[in-house]
Amino acid sequence: MMEITARNIRQWNRLGPRAVYGLALYELIGRDERVYALSADLGTSSGLGRLMADAPERYLNVGIAEQDLIGVSAGLAKEGLIPFASSFAPFITMRCADQVRMNMGYMHLNIKAVGLSSGVSVGGLGNSHFGADDVALMRAIPGMVVLSPADCVEVVKAVEAAAAYEGPVYIRLTGEAGFPNIHNGDIDLKIGKAISLREGEDVTIIAAGSMAHMAAEVSDRLRERGAGCAVLDMHTIKPLDTEAVRRAAKRSGLIVTMEEHSVIGGLGSAVAQVIAGEGVRPRAISLGMPDAYLKNGSYSYLLEQCGLTVDAATERIWDALQE
Amino acid sequence: MTNLEKYRQAFITALNADENILDDLNYQDIKEWDSVGHMSLVAELEDAFDIEMETDDIIDFSSYKKGMEILRKYHVEL
Repeated sequence: MMEITARNIRQWNRLGPRAVYGLALYELIGRDERVYALSADLGTSSGLGRLMADAPERYLNVGIAEQDLIGVSAGLAKEGLIPFASSFAPFITMRCADQVRMNMGYMHLNIKAVGLSSGVSVGGLGNSHFGADDVALMRAIPGMVVLSPADCVEVVKAVEAAAAYEGPVYIRLTGEAGFPNIHNGDIDLKIGKAISLREGEDVTIIAAGSMAHMAAEVSDRLRERGAGCAVLDMHTIKPLDTEAVRRAAKRSGLIVTMEEHSVIGGLGSAVAQVIAGEGVRPRAISLGMPDAYLKNGSYSYLLEQCGLTVDAATERIWDALQE
Repeated sequence: MTNLEKYRQAFITALNADENILDDLNYQDIKEWDSVGHMSLVAELEDAFDIEMETDDIIDFSSYKKGMEILRKYHVEL
């Protein structure tokens, strides 16, 4: 197990989620001979440089061929191995959707797909590389677990949890190097169990991935204005922690979801689906990427265009509370 | 331990580097000084000298000698 210390967290935070994924996998292959790393010509971008150098026999590069990436992973999984296959989020979900659907879904093989830099963190590369719809696609596949770690500690924990879980898992990486951490020590990350980051009565923000730390900051700002704001870190988007959502719906008159994903089909849709089945009817607001193609730009510029900033989210929620 | 000894020890601990090659060591000269090793080295130095390095300095830290120059900015005399 990787040691969760203040120093390691500081180091991981500087390296960013992709490098930390590579480190976690490097550690994992050292203690589990079934684990293999695969990529579609993105080994270095997956943080696998050290693993590729020190354990080349445990790394497979299939070339720029994501359908093959899933197909080869399926073969390994059929032999009892645990393949971790990584590529940029849209390439390992949408581009090879049929292979994912048949091998990870229908055959329920023990494949771990890792979507790098989902959302808009690779801003300069444009819409071809943005992860706007990966959650929508992956959560629609029966039996798929969808994890969205909120910081580098959760990336480590998500990799460990995925390896221990028997079945298909999609790990969605968001954020970038230097992104704020939300955990300063070890955590108990259980698949399907949300983590409470803040308590409050008036509103509950349910956030995933890169948005969790922002949600916590929004909560602090709202508290300064006299509004109680709970925050749930929904690191598992599927299976969703429906009990936590139901409790929030009964407690708060306003439920807000925050995600670096399209407002269609992601965490907001999953939460709305749960709330719709409840007897109580809190107002629900979904903050995420618009149903549109974005212009290229820096990560911070794109988050601003999507209204996914602490300032914008605070004002939006504050206004809703005043209505 | 003098500051110079602490500085050298950080390379030995973080990068498992041979003390005899330190003076001319550059980033990526040895496989341990990759991006991950680099952050380990920075963490080691920060703990040794009780400092917090800025991102630009972490990026500029391209060799043993350059690192000595950078640490002077943090009032670490070597």
